[in-house]
Amino acid sequence: MHVIPYPTWLNPGDNTWQLVTATLVGLMSLPGIAVLYGGLVQKKWAVNTMLMAFSGFAIVLIVWVLWGFNQGFGNPIGGGGHTGISGFFHNLWGKPSPIANHAGEQNQAYLPEGTLVPFHFPTASFAYFQVVFAAITPLLFLGSVLSRMKFKAWLLFVPLWITFVYTVNAFLLWGGGWWAHKGAVDYSGGYVIHLAAGVTGFVAAWVIGPRLQRDRQHALPNSLPMIMVGAGVLWLGWNGFNGGDPFYAGVDAASAVLNTNLATAAAALTWVLMDMWFLKQRKPTLLGGVNGMIVGLVCITPGAGWVNGYGALLEGVIASAIVWVAWNHLSKVRPFNRVDDALGVVYTHGIAGLVGGLLVGFFGDPKMVEYGCSGANYTAVGKCGGFSVSGLFYGGGWHQFDWQLVAALWVIGFTAVASFVVLQVVRVITRGLREPDEVLEVGDLAIHDEEAYPEDRFAERVGAFAMAGIAVGEPSPPLASEGRQVPAGSAESSARSSASQAPEPTGGR
Amino acid sequence: MKLVVAVLKPFKLDEVKEALKTLGVQGMTVTEAQGFGRQRGHTEVYRGAEYEVDFVPKIRMEVVVDDAQADEVVDAVVRAAATGKIGDGKVWVVPVDQVVRVRTGERGRDAL
Repeated sequence: MHVIPYPTWLNPGDNTWQLVTATLVGLMSLPGIAVLYGGLVQKKWAVNTMLMAFSGFAIVLIVWVLWGFNQGFGNPIGGGGHTGISGFFHNLWGKPSPIANHAGEQNQAYLPEGTLVPFHFPTASFAYFQVVFAAITPLLFLGSVLSRMKFKAWLLFVPLWITFVYTVNAFLLWGGGWWAHKGAVDYSGGYVIHLAAGVTGFVAAWVIGPRLQRDRQHALPNSLPMIMVGAGVLWLGWNGFNGGDPFYAGVDAASAVLNTNLATAAAALTWVLMDMWFLKQRKPTLLGGVNGMIVGLVCITPGAGWVNGYGALLEGVIASAIVWVAWNHLSKVRPFNRVDDALGVVYTHGIAGLVGGLLVGFFGDPKMVEYGCSGANYTAVGKCGGFSVSGLFYGGGWHQFDWQLVAALWVIGFTAVASFVVLQVVRVITRGLREPDEVLEVGDLAIHDEEAYPEDRFAERVGAFAMAGIAVGEPSPPLASEGRQVPAGSAESSARSSASQAPEPTGGR
Repeated sequence: MKLVVAVLKPFKLDEVKEALKTLGVQGMTVTEAQGFGRQRGHTEVYRGAEYEVDFVPKIRMEVVVDDAQADEVVDAVVRAAATGKIGDGKVWVVPVDQVVRVRTGERGRDAL
């Protein structure tokens, strides 16, 4: 007898694709963002940056399974059937609840709002796919606040931000909330992720205050090769970011992947050429190329599977040119020159996401069908839904643009205010949002006792050895006990040094 | 001629450099150095293992100046480098017998 080891609603191709794309998106965070940002900061901040990325990712996973997923994708908090302003609040958010039990993980994924075609994979696939999007968002705005935000404050800000900011935007645009009802679209998170990350980063950088003046004057990246590794992982990982969002391993997944790469290629080249033509130095730069690449990836995200290839190429060029101008010129005027957005997240994610979201209102091609057994390309098959977007250039009028604009204004306004409030709460609980200046002067070593490129010649093991196979440390050379600062009046008390002491038994720590 | 040598906190380099430029000092040589005096080193921890690092990153700055200028250069370095906290560094002055500019062969004060 032929046995199939999964439920009838499950399609192995769709399920595989969902898990693969989710993993690709996860790789964009770890190692992608971690090494990209880790390489972009000064040497003394590399460890702190990477550990913030690392811990932020872990926090969001846990929040997501315990309550966040259902806030973003569960039942509307006010129930269905409401209209007008009351409908907005009834459809603002999902009811929080965990999905960690067997049914939560293994039942067929669904949206309470309904989907055009049923999902062919379990909730675990859907939730994991969605959580890697949620998790990368704080990692993106980490780029605005790094090199001064208190580590403890970060550990608290991330879960609160996901709970009170991210899930609201996600529900409103994706989970069947109000903007989704109205027809605003966001294919893979140009608004929910990138615009929100840009806005949050900017607000948080303003609230937390700038990096040390000295750090800003010496803010050279510590490793361009590491930046290139992170950038490459981001680009190809984005095949999952946009390719997974149709939720079927079908035609539109393929279109979305190709369009993503087209827009990115166009945007990266646009930035490099603009550097060569318009910058004072007239030279192509690697970091300019990386900026352009990110802008391309971000700008195609709100419409990856709804525009055609020409639309994707044009979006890449337009967005890259706009963000290039913003990066080089808007950054010199208020309020942008008053806020230390360390890595410029408000430009490469905020403005790029906004531009991409609005461009869907122009380039949406109704013949690019996201789901479909019906629609222009599926005339022969029975009806089971079909979804596409009609922009201004394809006979759709201004309708789509209008809703894209309204949704963007919502995301900007809500995210800014809510992030501000959450930061004030965090400030009270963690007694401040910044590390003290004397810690900032040192960086990684002061916060973590680790540095990115340790110098082994000057380091000497002390204390008991945690692992077998290594003999107890030799006593330090005599000079180690001399001249070290000793609290006034105390003897040379440090047990960690000195040739005068006999070799200690283990346990010197 | 005198050789003024200073071991300084790295982040003070910019201020010291500017102070000496103001005095008309034409150039200097800087190396990254590791050292310790009364400043306590630090501990690093990797995978649970504790390491003591007595040496602290420093900048070693060297500048050769005319005898008459040595004192004001030393004063300027001290003023610019001081934070008042332990580990600010040292400045010392040694006599120099001869200086030659490699490009032209000029000697002595002309080579400064």
